[in-house]
Amino acid sequence: MSVVAQLEHDALDPQLELAELTEQARGDGAIVTFIGLARAESRAGDAVDALVLEHHPTLTRQSLEDIAVACAQRFDVSHVRVVHRCGTVPAGEPIVFAGAASIHRRAAFCAADYLMDRLKTEAVFWKREVGEAGSDWIEPTEADLADRDRWG
Amino acid sequence: MKVRFYGRLADAIGREIELDVRHEAPVGEIRRSLAASHPSAAGALRLSRACVRDIMADDNRLLSANDDLEFLPPVSGG
Repeated sequence: MSVVAQLEHDALDPQLELAELTEQARGDGAIVTFIGLARAESRAGDAVDALVLEHHPTLTRQSLEDIAVACAQRFDVSHVRVVHRCGTVPAGEPIVFAGAASIHRRAAFCAADYLMDRLKTEAVFWKREVGEAGSDWIEPTEADLADRDRWG
Repeated sequence: MKVRFYGRLADAIGREIELDVRHEAPVGEIRRSLAASHPSAAGALRLSRACVRDIMADDNRLLSANDDLEFLPPVSGG
């Protein structure tokens, strides 16, 4: 069993993260990963140049660890890996890598789904989109909160 | 007392301010005082969690002049 929860200040390389998770998961039967990308368009339809993720000096890293550990305890998984960007992420570039490995695919799917639902609503970041319409803070939607609440 | 803000609150109030707190004061009183002095931030302040020494604090938590207080607007990762 391994749990990785990292706050990444510079570029996030999903291929590298997958390679490391795959190496750890030798003997398992499944890996499920999610890669979140900075959108190039806001909900209002305006062009977005970058997503800026402000973080807290201690609570952000702690929140990533708490979510990853809770995932590992809840599901029948052997490895959980969460890597999350902070700072300025240009549109189209990765914000988050969330992956889980398991003997069985169902547990890995559920674990990745759980990771993202909690990261969207509980990871300690303050996000704002910067683009042609100026700067706009992004907070969890009712749908995000409902997704999170599915897990009890 | 230092009060630190994040996200949209930092935009509205500033990253950090110094408050003159001479007696113990509950978090809720400071929250209301800040909302009164920064009306544009009142809504965000209502929705924000307070945090003292990296632990969430409810509005009844008493603070002394030596405590540092933080206000955290709703968070969102991913």
